[in-house]
Amino acid sequence: MSQTTPPTLTSVGIDIGTTTTQVIVSELTVNRSGIGAVTVDIGETTVVYRGAIHETPLVDRHTLDTDAVRELVESELEAAGYSASAIDSGAVIVTGESSYKENAEELVNHIATHTGEFVVAAAGPELEAVLAGKGSGAAAWATKSHETVLNVDVGGGTTNMCLFSGDDVVETRCLDVGGRLLRFDETGQVTHISEPAERLIEIRGLDIAVGTRPTDTERRRLATAMTELLFDTIEGPPLSSVTDSFTIGSSEYTGKTVDTVVFSGGVGRLISKREETNDESEFAFGDFGVILAAAIRQEIDRRSLRVRHPDEDIRATVVGVGTQTTSFSGATTHIDESLLPLRNLPVVEGSTITADHDYATIVSELQGCFEQGCELYELDETSPFVLSLPSISPLDYGRIKALARALGDVYEQYFTSECPRIVLTRQNCGKALGQQLHSASNANTPLVVVDEVVASDGDYLDIGEALGSGQTVPVVVKSLAFGS
Amino acid sequence: MLSFRADHARARDAVLTKVSEEMIEETGLTSIQSRVTDQDEYLARPDLGRQISDETEARIRDECTLNPDVQILVCDGLSSTAVEKNVPNLLAMLVDGLEERGFEVGTPLFVKFGRVDVMDEIGKTLGATSVVNLIGERPGLHTAESLSAYLVYEPHPDKPTAKKSVISNIHVDGLPAVEAGAQIIDLVERMHDQRGSGIDLD
Repeated sequence: MSQTTPPTLTSVGIDIGTTTTQVIVSELTVNRSGIGAVTVDIGETTVVYRGAIHETPLVDRHTLDTDAVRELVESELEAAGYSASAIDSGAVIVTGESSYKENAEELVNHIATHTGEFVVAAAGPELEAVLAGKGSGAAAWATKSHETVLNVDVGGGTTNMCLFSGDDVVETRCLDVGGRLLRFDETGQVTHISEPAERLIEIRGLDIAVGTRPTDTERRRLATAMTELLFDTIEGPPLSSVTDSFTIGSSEYTGKTVDTVVFSGGVGRLISKREETNDESEFAFGDFGVILAAAIRQEIDRRSLRVRHPDEDIRATVVGVGTQTTSFSGATTHIDESLLPLRNLPVVEGSTITADHDYATIVSELQGCFEQGCELYELDETSPFVLSLPSISPLDYGRIKALARALGDVYEQYFTSECPRIVLTRQNCGKALGQQLHSASNANTPLVVVDEVVASDGDYLDIGEALGSGQTVPVVVKSLAFGS
Repeated sequence: MLSFRADHARARDAVLTKVSEEMIEETGLTSIQSRVTDQDEYLARPDLGRQISDETEARIRDECTLNPDVQILVCDGLSSTAVEKNVPNLLAMLVDGLEERGFEVGTPLFVKFGRVDVMDEIGKTLGATSVVNLIGERPGLHTAESLSAYLVYEPHPDKPTAKKSVISNIHVDGLPAVEAGAQIIDLVERMHDQRGSGIDLD
């Protein structure tokens, strides 16, 4: 019934950041389980080659030099001892300027001609926040302990927070606070001030300017000001108007009580290390990180916040992608065949629909999913994506009908009628949901409902052309694999 | 051995217990009976389970929609449990879905002591273009809750069995009732498009 997946995949992870690019080759073990709906898990991840850190080759501020990146990837693969044909899959993750994305897809077309399944993921601040939390172990801890864990990734330019509760990503919050907003030379003279820092200096009336050597007190006052923004955001609303003006995007704040905080990122590492700082080492990194870390640490101690050490303090690096050429979909699907094949669709996971969910609760759950998905993948109202429904229970007509009506309405609220609705169900109910969704949608809205396939947040999906009588489709689920 | 005895007990229950009046009422089914008069006769005389009396014929002609596009029947068959578990969901879905596609659906009937082929006589009596018969399957060792749907285009008692279409194994761990409903709707549409059922379909 299904094509076999090699027990081990050789996968490349190409991490293109604002300033640096790195190529990593790893061996992934893919586990499959389940009858009917096959679940794919990436078992072991072994990094077999970690390339050097290169400066990201750019043509200009918004455009990747794809030729240079390709050469870089090829030379790294050669150095690793792999030929392109030996690569089964790969992922390109682009962070920072999201406008690299289009460019990056072009890049993949260059690289992927002779290799297997590739995924391009552009990580906006929200996805970066999630990745950081996965890399630091905050996500794993939340799952293991059933606690609500806030990962606070304090980087160079921004601080990205992600709240994990059990298995779920609850929300993300992003803030213009970072260790590289100010640069110093080794003597402590300011060489550069970024816009957010400039603004904060002005608001606080501090005496810090490029070319000057600010006093210890002034530096600490700035660090304290940044720390206040940070903790204001950690605590959630009501936010001060100043904090609000430093917030990036639509950060979310639920009423959930945070049990544990994990600090990651470059500055996060300085916080956890608890090194004694003195004036010589303050400028060791040529930036504001050491001073900021000290201020944050002080605040942690003052509040006796429960802090857990991160497993890894750098961002979770994508080491590749585990692909699963799944068994075909269930035999009963509802498909507009003209849409196929579909490739590299990001997956947004819906919540479990249980017996106590009525139309209104399903609508609000779906709105939450859609909003989170739109932010994570930077979807606009015409971007196709896959909504994966984990479970509908009990599987009765009333529930399917309510779900379809809610889906129809919520899709209409966020997406144009022409934007295809692509829905996965774990259970064997694709045709039923498809028929109902068809009634609940605009007549011209394209629909693809595929059943008995499981995919999660962060996965990417390919749906091939229909086979046989047009009832089954091959589905490839691609899961990003993270290492440290 | 214990598991066999448990299965056997479940099977006996499924065969010997009756579909409750509440379910028939709640799902809005009109109840009629085949020529069979009791459970023993039902098991002993399958031929009578395929027929209805002259009075019943007259009654349904009187009370039911005549010449519908689709006539739906529910028979307890050999598993009343299967009917109780699956029909409420399936029937609602089926009626809504068929009507939405422009089919005129007849008055849904419950046939006590009904066998599969009772659909031919009832369908012919009512002048239905096609008949869907939802009937409890003979309980197996895995489940006693499995339902089958038999479909026929232009019902007639002389029509060979090969001209019937079937969707079977409808139960919670097999083909879920709602999904079966969706499949039946598609199948009815194909039957009407191609003017046939069973082996007559492409």
